[in-house]
Amino acid sequence: MSHDPNGPVLAHPVLDPRYAEPFPKAVLPVLRNPQLRKNVAHAIDVIQAKRGKLVQEKSDWQALRSAGAAIRSHVLENLAPYLEIFEARCTAAGGIVHWAADAAEVRQIILDILRQEQATEVIKIKTMTSAEIQLNPFLEAAGVRTYETDLAEIILQLGQDEPSHIVVPALHVNRSQVREIFARTMGLKDLSDDPHALTAAARTYLRQKFLSIPTAISGANFLVAETGSVVVVESEGNGRMCLTLPRTMITIAGIEKVLPSFQDLEVMLQVLARSATGERMNPYTSVWTGVTPGDGPQRFHIVLLDNGRSRMLAKETERQTLRCIRCAACMNACPVYRQTGGHAYGSVYPGPIGAILTPQLMQMHHAQTLPYASSLCGACYEVCPVKINIPEVLLELRSQVVNQERHTAGRFFDPMYLGLRVANLLFSRAWLFHAAQYFGRIGIRFFTRKDGWIHSLPSIGGKWTQTRDLRGFPRQTFHEWWAERDLKPTGEAK
Amino acid sequence: MNAPTQSRQQILDRIRANTRSVAAEHLESAYATLPRTYVRTGSLSAEARLALMIERLREYDAEVVECAPQDLPSTIAAQLQSSGKRIFIAPAGLPASWLALGFDWRIDRDLSSAEIELAEGVVTAAFCAVADSGTIVLHHSATEGRRVITLLPDWHLCILYASQVVETLPEYFSRCQNPPMLATYISGPSATADIEMTRIKGVHGPRFLHVIVVHDHADQPKNQ
Repeated sequence: MSHDPNGPVLAHPVLDPRYAEPFPKAVLPVLRNPQLRKNVAHAIDVIQAKRGKLVQEKSDWQALRSAGAAIRSHVLENLAPYLEIFEARCTAAGGIVHWAADAAEVRQIILDILRQEQATEVIKIKTMTSAEIQLNPFLEAAGVRTYETDLAEIILQLGQDEPSHIVVPALHVNRSQVREIFARTMGLKDLSDDPHALTAAARTYLRQKFLSIPTAISGANFLVAETGSVVVVESEGNGRMCLTLPRTMITIAGIEKVLPSFQDLEVMLQVLARSATGERMNPYTSVWTGVTPGDGPQRFHIVLLDNGRSRMLAKETERQTLRCIRCAACMNACPVYRQTGGHAYGSVYPGPIGAILTPQLMQMHHAQTLPYASSLCGACYEVCPVKINIPEVLLELRSQVVNQERHTAGRFFDPMYLGLRVANLLFSRAWLFHAAQYFGRIGIRFFTRKDGWIHSLPSIGGKWTQTRDLRGFPRQTFHEWWAERDLKPTGEAK
Repeated sequence: MNAPTQSRQQILDRIRANTRSVAAEHLESAYATLPRTYVRTGSLSAEARLALMIERLREYDAEVVECAPQDLPSTIAAQLQSSGKRIFIAPAGLPASWLALGFDWRIDRDLSSAEIELAEGVVTAAFCAVADSGTIVLHHSATEGRRVITLLPDWHLCILYASQVVETLPEYFSRCQNPPMLATYISGPSATADIEMTRIKGVHGPRFLHVIVVHDHADQPKNQ
């Protein structure tokens, strides 16, 4: 990953779409790493099988998807009023609501709160939004030590690695690699690679931190406008620890996370766990509202983050991207992700949802290769619990990328665009088209073998024939055959 | 802080420019038209519903025993006894008859985290339970306790009445005419599958979940 000295000063390597390699280049090291591919494929096969079973037992699955999609669309259509209602209710319950237009602003808001709290350490619940804004390296540089508390996030933080999945971020790491990381960083030489022992090591490592560090940072799965509540969904209990024990809680939430009413959770919670981990319900779901005297943090800040989201609302097709509830079912179903894992996407949001979300968050200035990281097979759309038509958005973004590229001077002599311009010319004039067919047929004859197939072509045509043969052109075009047929009546016409 | 109101206005303006929100007074009616054709009400008999709840709990490795209302105190005592533990937390509102004799009870009147950490177990009531997913719902009332007491102790005994068990998640939500300020939904003990998708029980929350199901339905128990 390249590092631009003029970019944000973050020493730690991050999944920053602005500096990431284009997808076709970034996948190469992964494709040559059989261990990583095996780890990814194993994890995905397990989740997929569990998900499939639990979705099948749900007779109203399609009705739940339709309701989920309708609720999320309704929210996005009316996002401003719902955010204002959330803000008012959360404030009334003792929460402090901040608004941040971009990553730099939210980082500064959080640092200011931490300075006020005189915090030098902070415990964190897994949040992809925090990774999106590169909060950890920023806080570390400002002298605040961050402790990730989700098991997968600890593995990544201690191993100086990056998330490759939004629900199971360390699925690319296997048990012996985890053992190595924990043994080295926790000073446990005799640690075994049994997942029980590794999990126990993480529990011990964190227990004292939970009990002593008074400031925590979380993300949010949902915000409830009706009540001003925040919802966090998790499995391990590290979330509950962070939400309950500290004195001060800071939550970062994308502006799109809001739901109209508390009751909408009856849809979202039913589809989320089944899609994400293949469980009927995740072990722990926490709902809290501002500050509750005597129970949990007595200071609660929430930062509502835009960072490119409000711009994505402008067009209906692209807007559906923001319905996403981050279940990761699309990446688990994706044949491309299965082969590449997440890092190649050069963003904290990998897989099909990342392929449409990342370029849009970057306002199409970066990550332009991601909309092509798909075979358009539609598996992502089929599994999406809020019915985001990802292939449709991919195609729309591809057309935007093409429109960008074909107008850039550097691409004028690009063989593809040159070819397409010529095709455009030919297809729009019948006489030119016929002439091209005539001369093309003569030209192609030199490459056609006796068996009627073209086995190799020169120049860029070779890219095609390198891996497959091309049938030789027929003697006549259809037009010619048709015209000839009219001249020689068969006598059978009616 | 750098002009917070400025970003707020800027974000809301940009959202408004890019959406066609309905007028504030029509927001509710627009919301009311959203399709909700999913299953709201369960179809199982009371007996089957309870059986499903218990099956789900056992799938999660929760330990389940059943009893009649009048046997509850003795059942609690037996559970505590067999746990081999001695120090238990109780929320301030827990019925006195549940506090079995012979154990070291710490009643939660603002206990510190350190004091709670020293306890070996906790006994609470529940708000309700959802059979479909085996979920226990806590709204953290006086009998369910503050969030921290069902988190730090390694052993949680939850008392659940049969009449509190609903079949579907929407049935729970329709019981929330006044949404709770705090809620925790527990579906099995703390777990992770982060290492090679191997499910490991007990990361940070309680590793042992015990449930006493009290048959308070008229049409119920065989063992009464």
